[in-house]
Amino acid sequence: MSAVRPVPPITIEKPIAKVWTGARAIAEAVKLADVDVISAYPIRPYTGIMNAIAAMIADGEFQAEIIIADSEHSQFEVVKHAAATGARVFVGSSGVGLMYAYEAMLVTGLGSVPVVGVVGTRALDDPGNFGMEWTDAFTTRYFGWLISWPRDVQEALDMVLVAYRVAEDHRVLQPHFVALDGAAITHVAMPVYPPTKKQVTEFLPPYRPPYRIDPIDGPVTKAQHIAPSLIGPEQRKRIDVAMLKAKEVIIEAWKDYARYVGREYPPFIETKWMDDAEIALLSMGAYMKDIELVASKLREKGLKIGTVRLRYLRPFPAEELVKVLSGVKAVGVIEFGFSFGSPYRTGPLYHEVATALYETDERPKLLDFLFLGGREPKPEHFIKAAEMVNDLAKGKTFEKKAYWLTLRGEDI
Amino acid sequence: MSSGPSLIRSVKEIPPIDYYTSGHRTCAGCGAALIYRLVTKAAGPNTILIGPTGCMYVANAHQFLTSPYAVPWYHTQLGAGGAAGIGIAAALRALMVKGKRKPEDINIIVFGGDGGFADIGFSGLSMALTYDYPRLLYLLYDNESYANTGIQASSTTPWGATTTFTPSGKVKRIGNERYKKNMTLLAAAHPKIKYVATATIYPPLDLMNKVIKALNSGGPSFIHVLTPCPKGWFYTPHETYELARLAVETGMWILWEYSEGKFKLNYKPQPRKHVKEYLRRQGRFSHLTDEEIDMIDKMVEEEWKYWLESDKLGKIILPW
Repeated sequence: MSAVRPVPPITIEKPIAKVWTGARAIAEAVKLADVDVISAYPIRPYTGIMNAIAAMIADGEFQAEIIIADSEHSQFEVVKHAAATGARVFVGSSGVGLMYAYEAMLVTGLGSVPVVGVVGTRALDDPGNFGMEWTDAFTTRYFGWLISWPRDVQEALDMVLVAYRVAEDHRVLQPHFVALDGAAITHVAMPVYPPTKKQVTEFLPPYRPPYRIDPIDGPVTKAQHIAPSLIGPEQRKRIDVAMLKAKEVIIEAWKDYARYVGREYPPFIETKWMDDAEIALLSMGAYMKDIELVASKLREKGLKIGTVRLRYLRPFPAEELVKVLSGVKAVGVIEFGFSFGSPYRTGPLYHEVATALYETDERPKLLDFLFLGGREPKPEHFIKAAEMVNDLAKGKTFEKKAYWLTLRGEDI
Repeated sequence: MSSGPSLIRSVKEIPPIDYYTSGHRTCAGCGAALIYRLVTKAAGPNTILIGPTGCMYVANAHQFLTSPYAVPWYHTQLGAGGAAGIGIAAALRALMVKGKRKPEDINIIVFGGDGGFADIGFSGLSMALTYDYPRLLYLLYDNESYANTGIQASSTTPWGATTTFTPSGKVKRIGNERYKKNMTLLAAAHPKIKYVATATIYPPLDLMNKVIKALNSGGPSFIHVLTPCPKGWFYTPHETYELARLAVETGMWILWEYSEGKFKLNYKPQPRKHVKEYLRRQGRFSHLTDEEIDMIDKMVEEEWKYWLESDKLGKIILPW
């Protein structure tokens, strides 16, 4: 053993890790972003974030108006109007609560108001269920919101800050939420390195919308009723183009985040062992950790497996995914959302992946693994999925496209 | 009352400038359009208007890319009027307190219909009235039906009115069998509410001065404005103002205000006209018998005892 040496001062100046839950870390991001208006309504598992923010405001740690709404619909409408008036805002929800807000979310997206929020994903009623599913967040794919999906608490904090930068960029000006796998991120504590106030100020310019609903900007009329023939398609096209432009803005933002804060991420897709992979497991969010662990063990046994993690669902990184999966024989999609009666009874992430891959000539074969109803998958389920994908790559035919590995009883 | 806001004392003092101008395509004789014009005149240029879905959304543009508003205006969803006003008020306060915007008095007026405030947006409106943002006025233009979608009953449609959802039929002859919800009393039920009032377009100065009082009351406020609607009430368009006057003179619409916990009647019909003078002018009540009209008159007579008593005490007594 080497002798104990004196600690040089440089070590002391290194950032100190805070052990924070996802809820606390997000609250710190909101504070660092100097948010002006927050609107809250309780539903598990996202509520803890608002509890943490409310405590910070009550203690004078930062200044913001916090509105306790009467419903999620009101909650999302409050921040939509506040953002349209020129305030930086924060909002969030979970499960059926989010679904209650859908109309408000929709007009925020179609009205191009850069609200930023989080979704603590949760299984939907009925029956009531505190487990994790993705359908609450996935069903908002059509609403013009950007959607990113972190793997852990650290990335969740970073993603919220980047979300403000991307959403408020004038090339985008669309709302953005960060989907936190319920409980697995919202309630799990880990060491987190928060950026400093100075770093965030350099990275994130103040929010300056082009036209505010404020007499200071003159008589702006927004969202006036139109006859379909007037600007119907053109208004929709603006959002389509904003999503297209968002891809370059996202790349820039993460590059700048690395520059100012010192933490690097691949912008759209994180891969492991994909250089020589013949098969892959693809997913998003917190369970990637388990999936990667399983893949690393299987690699030790000689299986040429890699993992693919999507960091953005909207805009969907289709071209990037095609590149990553080129040469791969079979892919297993691990997902937590449902779309009953869909093609081959598969889930919504499968649909996204299949659509992206359809455009390639040599596309890998796909299997879908649905983890529904909130029952937690274990490593053995991911091992099983990997084995099935391996069989698929070797030419075995499967009767179905989608398998429910956590289901008890017959998977009809 | 020298410390109060300066009110408009005569028609000659009404500001000549309009903030609700040409560019809309409301029906001939639209009561709500008249309200928009009078209310925005009273509020002045430093005002933000919010329009929940309804007649005053769809009819105020649509065919051409025009806007009748000379002040900022933003559409909000049918059920989101309450939240919209709060969102804007919270943003302005936060930005001013944090030094991100210069401090200034800005009025926010949310023009909701009876569907928007009495039905789908009732919860959000109630939430809004529990906050303390000043210069935030919720104005209910009550034409007593979902008129824009083709006259469907709402919870403020009066008893006996025929609408497309409550038609007078061979078996169900009466039409709407529910009684009109009293939104003003519900608004007054919010503790510490600064200002609540009823109004109609008659007399116009009463409406305008109530807007001025509401905006200067120091908190969120609510004005329930009865809004004659030729399309939904079935009368000829030039009678809009006349119907507003008759609603007041027959005692079917009670002009009152509730300011800082003090109730006051603004008009006492002496003598009160029989309700038939108001109801018989409207096609929506044409199926009612004379006995039924008399029954309504008796109900109004009964209620008025309580309104007068409330006025005497300066306190609200439930009139039923």
